[in-house]
Amino acid sequence: MTVRGLPLPSLGGISSPLRRAPGTPSGRWLRGRGPLHLTLIAIVILWSIPTLALLISSFREATDINASGWWNAFKDFNFTLDNYDEVLNQRGMGSAFVNSLIITVPSTILVILVAAAAAYAFAWMRFPGRALLFIVVVSLLVVPLQMTLIPLQQLYGEVQIDADLPVLGGRIFGVGSYPGVWLAHAGFGLPFAVYLLRNFFGNLPRDLFEAAYIDGASDLQVFFRIALPLAAPAMASLAIFQFLWVWNDLLIALIFLGDPDLAPMTLRINNLVSSFGQNYEVLTAAAFLSMIVPLLIFFALQRYFVQGILAGSVKG
Amino acid sequence: MAGVVFDQVTKRYGEVVALNEFTLDVEDGEFLVLVGPSGSGKSTALRMLAGLEDISSGEIYIGDRLVNDVAPKDRDIAMVFQTYALYPHMSVFDNMAFGLKLRKQAKALIRQRVEDAAEILGLTDLLKRKPRQLSGGQRQRVALGRAIVRDPTVFLLDEPLSNLDAKLRVQTRAEISKLHQSLGTTFIYVTHDQVEAMTMATRIAVMDDGLLQQAGAPEEFYSRPDNMFVAGFIGSPAMNFFDATVARTDETWELEAGAFRVALSPERTAALKRYDGQRIVLGFRPEHIHSRDYAPSGITPVPVEAAVDIVELMGNESFLHLQADGISFLARVDPRTAARAGQRIALLLDITHMHAFDPETSAAIALPDGPAA
Repeated sequence: MTVRGLPLPSLGGISSPLRRAPGTPSGRWLRGRGPLHLTLIAIVILWSIPTLALLISSFREATDINASGWWNAFKDFNFTLDNYDEVLNQRGMGSAFVNSLIITVPSTILVILVAAAAAYAFAWMRFPGRALLFIVVVSLLVVPLQMTLIPLQQLYGEVQIDADLPVLGGRIFGVGSYPGVWLAHAGFGLPFAVYLLRNFFGNLPRDLFEAAYIDGASDLQVFFRIALPLAAPAMASLAIFQFLWVWNDLLIALIFLGDPDLAPMTLRINNLVSSFGQNYEVLTAAAFLSMIVPLLIFFALQRYFVQGILAGSVKG
Repeated sequence: MAGVVFDQVTKRYGEVVALNEFTLDVEDGEFLVLVGPSGSGKSTALRMLAGLEDISSGEIYIGDRLVNDVAPKDRDIAMVFQTYALYPHMSVFDNMAFGLKLRKQAKALIRQRVEDAAEILGLTDLLKRKPRQLSGGQRQRVALGRAIVRDPTVFLLDEPLSNLDAKLRVQTRAEISKLHQSLGTTFIYVTHDQVEAMTMATRIAVMDDGLLQQAGAPEEFYSRPDNMFVAGFIGSPAMNFFDATVARTDETWELEAGAFRVALSPERTAALKRYDGQRIVLGFRPEHIHSRDYAPSGITPVPVEAAVDIVELMGNESFLHLQADGISFLARVDPRTAARAGQRIALLLDITHMHAFDPETSAAIALPDGPAA
C-alpha cells in the first residue's frame, strides 16, 4: 500500500518498516518470513513424528518393537509385512475395512443430500417459520451427541425391522443394523452441514436464480441445475469432513452395532487393544490401515478442504 | 411481439410504497426507457413485469393477457440483468441454450438459434468458454444473447450497461439500439443514466419517488419538461433554476429575479398573470446562457452579470460555474470566452428557451414559444 517515493502510513503498521529496512541477505531473511517458515516446519515435524513412528513400527518385527524404540529401525532395519498379514488375514481387519466403508459412504451421502436440499430451502425459499426453524437447526450444533445416546438406544431397541438383504446383514432398522447407524450419523452431522451449506447458498447472487426462473426453470430445476453444481466445492469439503468424522467414529459404532461381524475398523482396533494389551505390532499395522483412506481422501481433495473451510466467508 | 400495460400498479414493502399507482401503456415494438434516480421505483416496475416481485395492487398486461398471477417462465419475456447473471458453471453456448433446453426444444433448433444469436453478437468464437474467461463487454453480450435466443415478446433490460467502462458503454448503447431495430420487439429498459434514455429510447418514462413524472418522446423532455424534477433530471449539465417574482409596472409585466429582469410579451403575460405578485421558478438550460462577446445571433437576450467560480475547458465549449445574487448556476459558453475564476463576466440569457415552474406544485407553467420582449 505504498506509492513509490511516498511513505504512506501502512495498513496495520507492520509491512513498511520491514520492507524498507536495507541490509544483508541474512538480515532480510531474519526480518522477513524466515522465522515464520522455521516455526511452521518445526510444527509440521513435531506433529508428523507420531504418524511416522506408527508407520515405521508397523513394518518391524514384534520382538524388535518390544525391545527398542522405533527410531532404532534406522540403524538396524528389519523390514517385515507380517503385521499387515496378521491383521488382515487373522484379525479380520479386511472385513472391518469393508464394514467401515459400508457405514461411512451412505452416512456421508445421506448428509450431503438432505443438507443441500434443506440449506437451499433455508437460503432461497420463502415459507412460514423459516427463520425459527433455521435457528433451531443451528442451535442443535451445541447439543452434545452423548445426550441422545440413551433415547436413541431405547428407540432402536423398541423398533427393529428385520429383512434379509445383501450387505446389510439381516436387519434394516434398530440396534445392530447399518441403516440405524447411518441415520444416527446423518442426524449428528446435519446441523453443521445445513449451517455450512446455507451460508454458501445464501452468498450466491439472487440474479442467477431469477435469471433461471425467467429462463423457464422450476424450483427443482433451479436447485439441481444451478444451485447444486455451483455448490460442488462446498459439498466436496463437507463430504470430506463428514467422511472423516464417520470413518474415525468409535462411539456410535460401539453403541449401536452389537454384532462384531458388522464392526468397523475403529471398533476392531479397540478390541485389539483390550484383548491383546501388549500386541503393539498388530495395533500399529491396524491403525495405519485405518488411516490410509482418510489420507488418500485428504490428498486427493485438499483443494476443496481449504476452500470449504472458507465457504461463505469470502464472496466467490 | 406484444405491448405492455401497467394499470395503477402499486408495490408496498410494509409501510414503504416503492411504486405508486403506476400507469403506462407501452406499445408493441417500442423502446421504452424507464429512467430515474435510485429508489425511484423503476427497477421495481420492471421486476414486477418480469414476475420477480408480487404486485400489491393494480394490473399488468402483456399483450392482451393479464399476467398478475402468471409465473415468470410463462410470461414470454427475457431479461438482461445488471450483473449479467450468467451461469458460472456453464459454457457460453449452454448459457444461451439453457432456456431453450428447459423448454424441450429440438437439439438442432437450439444449436441453430444459439449460433444465429452468437453470429449477431460476435460471440461465435467464444461459445465454448466459461463466463469467467470473458471480458465485461463479452459477458454483457452473452447476457443479451441469452435473451435473444428465446425470441421473447418483450425484452427487459435492467441497467445492462452500468458495469461497463465509459467507452464500451457508448459502443454497446449503439449495438442495443441496432438490435432493437432489427428485432422489432418491445424493449423495456431501466437506467439511471439520462444520456442512455435520451439516446436509445423511442419513448421515455421518468420516475421519481415511486411516481411516474412524465412519459413521452425524448425531445419533449428537453424542450417541454412537465415539472422541475424532469427539467433538472434530463439534460447534462442540468437546468439552472432562479426564483423570480411576477411584477406589474404600469401596463407591462415583468419577472424580477434579483440578478436580472425579464420583460414579458403579451402572450407570456397571459400565461403568468395569475401569479401577480407571487414567486415562480425560472429555468434556463446551461446552453441557453451565452457570454456576451460570443452570443449567437437570433437569440432574445436578457443581460446578466455574474462572478466566475470555476472554468472548465472542454475544448469545443467551456463550462462556467457562476454566482449571481447568491444563486449558483452553470453556463455552457463559447470556448473563446475569456473568463477567469474570480472575475466578473457579462452574460446573455436567451429567454426564448426560458422555462417557468409553479414553486408549490413544481409543475411547469406552459409558456408560449417565441420572443418575450
